[in-house]
Amino acid sequence: MYRIDRAEALRYLGYRGQAIEPQLDALIDDCMEECLQIARPRSVWRRFEVSFPEGEADVTLPAAGFALPGRDIRAHLSGCGACYLLAATLGVEIDAAIRRYEAGDLTRSLILDACATCLIESVCDEAETAIRSQAAKAGKGLTSRYSPGYGDLPIEIQPRFTALLDTPRRIGLYCSGSYILMPRKSVTAVLGLRDEPAGRTEERRGCGRRCVDCRLKDCLYRKEDAPCA
Amino acid sequence: MRITEQIKDGFLLFDGAMGTMLQRAGVAPGQLPELLNLTDPGLITSIHKAYVEAGCQVASANTFGANSLKLAGSGHTVEEVVKAGIACAKASGARWTALDLGPTGQLLEPMGTLSFEKAYDLYAEQIKAGAAAGADLILIETISDLYEAKAAILAARELTDLPVFCTLTFEEGQRTFIGADPLTAAVALNAWGVDALGVNCSLGPKELLPVVETLLTYAKVPVMVQANAGLPREENGRTVYDIGPEDYAAAVELMLEKGVHIVGGCCGTDPTYMARLHSLLEGRRPVETHPRTVTAACSGTTTCLLDGRVSVIGERINPTGKKRLKEALREGRMDYIIGEAIDQTNAGADLLDVNVGLPELDEPAMLAKVIREVQGVTALPLQIDSSDPAAIEAGVRCYCGKPIINSVNGKKETMEQIFPIVKKYGALVIGLTLDEKGIPPTAEERLAIAARILETAESYGIPREDLLIDCLVLTASAQQEQVLETLKAIKLVKSRLGLKTVLGVSNVSFGLPNRPLLNSTYLAAAFGAGLDAPIINPMSAEIMRVVDTFRVLDNEDKDAAAYIAKYTGTETAAAAAPVPPAGQAGAPAVPPAAETLTLYDCIVQGRREEAVRKTTALLESGDALEIIDGQFVPALDYVGDRFEKGKLFLPQLMQSAQAVKAAFSVIKAHNDAAGRQGEARGKILLATVQGDIHDIGKNIVKMMLENYGYDVVDLGKDVPVEQVVEETLKQQIPLVGLSALMTTTVKSMQETIEALRAAGAACRVMVGGAVLNEEYAAMVGADYYAKDAQASVRIANEFFGG
Repeated sequence: MYRIDRAEALRYLGYRGQAIEPQLDALIDDCMEECLQIARPRSVWRRFEVSFPEGEADVTLPAAGFALPGRDIRAHLSGCGACYLLAATLGVEIDAAIRRYEAGDLTRSLILDACATCLIESVCDEAETAIRSQAAKAGKGLTSRYSPGYGDLPIEIQPRFTALLDTPRRIGLYCSGSYILMPRKSVTAVLGLRDEPAGRTEERRGCGRRCVDCRLKDCLYRKEDAPCA
Repeated sequence: MRITEQIKDGFLLFDGAMGTMLQRAGVAPGQLPELLNLTDPGLITSIHKAYVEAGCQVASANTFGANSLKLAGSGHTVEEVVKAGIACAKASGARWTALDLGPTGQLLEPMGTLSFEKAYDLYAEQIKAGAAAGADLILIETISDLYEAKAAILAARELTDLPVFCTLTFEEGQRTFIGADPLTAAVALNAWGVDALGVNCSLGPKELLPVVETLLTYAKVPVMVQANAGLPREENGRTVYDIGPEDYAAAVELMLEKGVHIVGGCCGTDPTYMARLHSLLEGRRPVETHPRTVTAACSGTTTCLLDGRVSVIGERINPTGKKRLKEALREGRMDYIIGEAIDQTNAGADLLDVNVGLPELDEPAMLAKVIREVQGVTALPLQIDSSDPAAIEAGVRCYCGKPIINSVNGKKETMEQIFPIVKKYGALVIGLTLDEKGIPPTAEERLAIAARILETAESYGIPREDLLIDCLVLTASAQQEQVLETLKAIKLVKSRLGLKTVLGVSNVSFGLPNRPLLNSTYLAAAFGAGLDAPIINPMSAEIMRVVDTFRVLDNEDKDAAAYIAKYTGTETAAAAAPVPPAGQAGAPAVPPAAETLTLYDCIVQGRREEAVRKTTALLESGDALEIIDGQFVPALDYVGDRFEKGKLFLPQLMQSAQAVKAAFSVIKAHNDAAGRQGEARGKILLATVQGDIHDIGKNIVKMMLENYGYDVVDLGKDVPVEQVVEETLKQQIPLVGLSALMTTTVKSMQETIEALRAAGAACRVMVGGAVLNEEYAAMVGADYYAKDAQASVRIANEFFGG
């Protein structure tokens, strides 16, 4: 089931342990509920074989004629024979609601935005779980999710990424000329697939969901106080 | 035979998937399959041929994504690719060749950044090439956004005489990705004048059946279905579909029995599926359908049926007698207008009237601008209200849906100007019962005008169900003897002509005290006479009470469910004290805890309503400036300081800011009433840079700056570089604030700053946004870096010497 991690939503709002008055508490609950109600989560994924060309800082997907550039993604996928490309979105409804509240109740708009950011993570988690169990049946394991824009994996690969998964047609996800995913609450990610002894559970590693390794040191959403995984 | 004749009484078999066949032939995913028209025309023609051999009558050319956005960088033009695609289709020997148009691949405004005009241009380029290459028809398919469909259909109809078929893609839950339901799809596509409409892709034929049934109920043209071979799923790196040709044909047979005329296949289907459909169609006759005739207006997602119920048309977006709206329009400030749209939507309006007529404005441009903004924040259908035909056309053209045009009347000249617009764009239209001689005094004479308007409308090919009549209210204070004549006229129009009626009810009370009281009594009487849709103020509780109660009496509100939900427990309060108009001081009981709070406390605690009440009360004795300097600013400073020290987090800071914002609007209204002008501390321009659509941060900054008394010029989001420069120069802005939330759009922030400098703008620039820091800010050439909204206030205060 999709869920919104309240503590995570608060962190996006810049929360650092301040006392929260009851009205605000109720407003946050209300936004979480509204977010779950109006979002229309959708996801799509597809498996591709990968190769690591000698002497280059890329991972290539030969069947697609597509490369994932960068040392970081190469490290992330090291030891993998294939990867999954994943795309997920909450749909346009949540964007519309956030925009509507911007006119009359900016606080609500901001909180709803934070809730939606958490919800799209949950949608990715669900998709990842489904892929993981599919992989486990074949005795394979998955790396954590790695998205364009992390480390040195350029965001400029978004148009090809979304085209490969046919996301406009499959889940209503578009990439703008400025490489912004639309609807706004959308994610694309790469998961490595590798051989793994049966029964071993995968630990989260890399910077899939942690800010510690990210280069955007001044990001508003940076989770400085998050414990290292 | 022309294809439009074929589909009237016969079946038509389109082809199946192109993409599926290409994948089987080993074409890599994610490439531009349209380029194969040039690089491997033999392959494309062989696929078309396989479909023709299976019995398909139409070959859909491999031109789905052949637009200049997708082809950019391919080294080939749209014309080349489309021409080659049509040639491949024709070479298959198919009876008819369709120019196939898919979505642009970009999300349109307001959800995305592609403008309607740009979408039109993209389609226009494809359509010109396709028509020149000899396509027999245009198939617009796999559409999620009706706005995109409108751009393509309009281009097709303005540039060619070719038949236009349009199919949308629905997902589970019977909505498109953008939110349109099948009823809205049918209403809009009917209005825009397609030759066939329907559904393709997305789901299997079984899942699509309910969607198809709704389309058949409302479509005035033949219905078309090209389903997928079931729901797609991924298996070992391939997309697979689970429904075989037999099951597919069985599901299609059900649709034929309901009245579908045109079939084919989409993703996952191949010539074996089409061969099964071919034998299914043999020896069969189409089932006749009897679509419902309805009076319906729609937006891009939602339909308002005016049949069998009363509908409320919100009147508030109209500058007549509204000082603040006039101001907002003159200054191009959209937030006030957007607020009016949202408030009326929340208050229960069914449609919204939009009128921006001010003599000093470029009305066509302004009406189009406001329509775009309003349709971005409400799903309600709009009523486009102007006396200028050019403004009406500008508004209707960029409107996504089937609007109501307000209005035409019995004057020959007006009808000649307005009806062609109604017909071309597919709208409902209101006919006012007046003519060259004015408003006739008797009901019979107004009926005669209505009959003449109807006759003329029909001569333009406008269906009678799309004409609404306004029998015109005269004011009780001036022409009291005329007031009931209007109601007589409504009865006559309804019984003799069978037309729906609208009425601008509020006019009746002009010049008399307690207008809502008189309005609501008259509204009840008008409902009794058969009025379908009053144009009224849905923000008035008194008016909405009449609507809610009439819906019970009229057997619309089944089991009075809505009434019970809204009015249970309201008797005692109503009996004890009449509800005073909103915003009046001291009226509702203040909770005891809040009684002892000062305005300062209310702001610090983020108590919005109480802050408004305290401000209203203080204004009676005190001076506005005293309240601002003595209460607002110290409270804001205190809260801002706590925020900077980490004692409060952002939502808490914002709740206080919203309390001040609400209280400020009381002061503004007070100043307006007294004819006083509040003094601004300085003018600041804000914009979210080109390419970026994340603007919550900028909006927070705006609210905070306004609270401190700054005059903020907000250009919105995705603002072109030139616009920032132009406005900065024109309005002589000393301080410009730019926001960008993406690493990729920081570049356009830099370009904007460079352009400002190059143009010699004497301004300082502050920047903010999640991906920025001091270092980045300096790198893009900014003078100040605002790490949050409070920091921007500090910068402004220092800059303006506050």
